Amino acid sequence: MAEKLCIVVSEGSFDKAIMSLMLATTGASMGLEAHVFYSFFGLKLLKKGTKPKLPGIMKPFTFMMTGKMKKMKMPGYQEMLQQAIDLGVNLYACSTTMSLMNVSESDLVKGTKVLGASAFLNMAADAKVNLFIG
Amino acid sequence: MNKDATLDAKGLMCPMPIVQLAKKVKEMNSGQILELLADDIGAKEDVPAWCNRTGNQLLGTEAEGIVLKFYIKVK
Repeated sequence: MAEKLCIVVSEGSFDKAIMSLMLATTGASMGLEAHVFYSFFGLKLLKKGTKPKLPGIMKPFTFMMTGKMKKMKMPGYQEMLQQAIDLGVNLYACSTTMSLMNVSESDLVKGTKVLGASAFLNMAADAKVNLFIG
Repeated sequence: MNKDATLDAKGLMCPMPIVQLAKKVKEMNSGQILELLADDIGAKEDVPAWCNRTGNQLLGTEAEGIVLKFYIKVK
């Protein structure tokens, strides 16, 4: 059985969004079974059409970074998300956060699964790599 | 070096060369040799690590200016 990589994302800013997807995508490409659990402000990263912004006062400068990334031929956030799904990365929405923030399953990107904490921890308990991004 | 296919990942940043490498190797047959071209400075360490992890054999590496050439034998 493939070794597991589990990542928790608790913030919805651009940097956390990109970094978690890059690690999960790379992990999947290396033959790891990748699981990413989006909780609290991280949840909005799974909403359809989301364009994450840089945090705090850097927010208005997001376009500079996305522009540079485009020039460097890096995929945009939604493309990265789709690529991760295509590579078999498992994306999970935290069920409690969904209730707290009035998000329904139909708001989420197709391919996302809804989980509670114990289901995620069950996977994390026997994962070789556990990362918290938040 | 003999090769069965070439993957040009020049101009791509981490993790794209690795993502494309994994995809390409999946399409190839066991024992075939893939030439990977990359100029991401991380590739120097990333490609050997990927090979080590996935069990594909890194036969050799060559540098041509800033472009690195990796020769990988598919598992």
